[in-house]
Amino acid sequence: MGEVELSCRAYVKMYLHACLFPRCSVNGLLLSSSSSAGGAVCVTDCVPLLHSHLSLAPITQLALTQVDVWCSQTQQRIVGYYQANACTSDSSPTPCALKIADKIAEQFDGAVLLMLDGSKMSPDYRVPPIVMYERKDSRWTLKDKHTIMLRQWEEIRDVASQMLDSGDHSLLVDFDSHLDDITRDWTNQKLNSKIAELCSPVNGNI
Amino acid sequence: MLNCDAMRDKLRKWREDNSRNSEQIVDVGEELISDHASKLGDDVWIIYEQVMIAALDCSRDDLALTCLQELRKQFPDSHRVKRLTGMRLEALERYDEANKHYDAILEDDPTNTAARKRKISILKAQGKNGEAIRELNEYLEQFVGDQEAWHELSELYINEHDYGKAAFCLEELMMTNPHNHLYCEQYAEVKYTQGGLENLELSRKYFSQALRLNNRNMRALFGLYMSASHIAASPKVSAKVKKDNIKYAAWAANQINRAYKVSICKQHSDILKTTSFT
Repeated sequence: MGEVELSCRAYVKMYLHACLFPRCSVNGLLLSSSSSAGGAVCVTDCVPLLHSHLSLAPITQLALTQVDVWCSQTQQRIVGYYQANACTSDSSPTPCALKIADKIAEQFDGAVLLMLDGSKMSPDYRVPPIVMYERKDSRWTLKDKHTIMLRQWEEIRDVASQMLDSGDHSLLVDFDSHLDDITRDWTNQKLNSKIAELCSPVNGNI
Repeated sequence: MLNCDAMRDKLRKWREDNSRNSEQIVDVGEELISDHASKLGDDVWIIYEQVMIAALDCSRDDLALTCLQELRKQFPDSHRVKRLTGMRLEALERYDEANKHYDAILEDDPTNTAARKRKISILKAQGKNGEAIRELNEYLEQFVGDQEAWHELSELYINEHDYGKAAFCLEELMMTNPHNHLYCEQYAEVKYTQGGLENLELSRKYFSQALRLNNRNMRALFGLYMSASHIAASPKVSAKVKKDNIKYAAWAANQINRAYKVSICKQHSDILKTTSFT
């Protein structure tokens, strides 16, 4: 299958989401604002969804609908799903991860399933703590590492660490938090601006 | 900078609320202990315990050990302190040693619920959900009134996708806590997930009940909208049931739109206009 590129904004928000709720499993959706050129998927953003009861249906369905609508209003599309398990020793996709990823794959051919590997998330890790899956013959299989791109990984990793150290992860709003207080913005515009400031000398396309 | 009394009050409030804001507790607690320990009187011991547990949560083993050593000096034979020793070993992932400590407590005092719960937490940390569930069920046979345990069990069942048993646990919790809107709402979510017309109707009823108990529970409001919409769209319902559920869904949609208009996020109030049902 094609190449997948992960932008600074997408990676940093996923990372901060997992760091904000270290005792919970968290999940979210991966978005793209560019149309796939030659089979390459560029994940330009993500929407953090839940940090509790990931496998219960109502809120997940609600979130998928709301993100879908927002995407159609902002020329983006849902291209994948990410999850970080509470139990860091096991980074394999759970049944609910596979289910949601299947649903996304129904609408988008090159959909990806991304698991964050909690055991590899220390600040000086040399490789990105992610495991990616793609759909081949109706099954989710591990993606060839060489088709996953994170431009200037060390700089992105440093931006994520910096934001974590300065407590910026507390600015992140996931869909769960939005339901607790609907004045909070699950599209995270404020956080996106902060990331853009730190990332722009690093990454051509955010 | 806060003064000693203010810091003390904060820690007390967090103890009473049972909040797990460990980073804050470590911040305030560390300062309080190092600068004002002598002024705390007998409170100092409960504060050492509180800060120690928070320190473990933040991987601050240095601070945890300091607190633990003070507690050991003061209460050398205490089961309560032994449990804290066990918790530190858990944090260091030395689970076998931790279990030995808890087993020693239980040999001495078989009714020690704290030690039993720690053993179950170890199983959970090791990813042994099946065993944790078994042990927790056994525990609840003896200690049937332990709310925290029932809730933990419902969470474990949800993680294992055993929604029927999760529902049973939540039913226990609703019986003993009839005014708790969160239990009603969680029960409704489980029923919705189980699916099928009967479960959807139950879920709608319990989303409504949650709203009666707390009319600002957004999850319950959305849940009511979604369950009523699905029921109305089902080919198996009578015309009357369909009509009623369309009414419920419309009411919920209205409430949701009002809530969003009041909030700053105007973008979301248009979303429901795009959703339709027959």
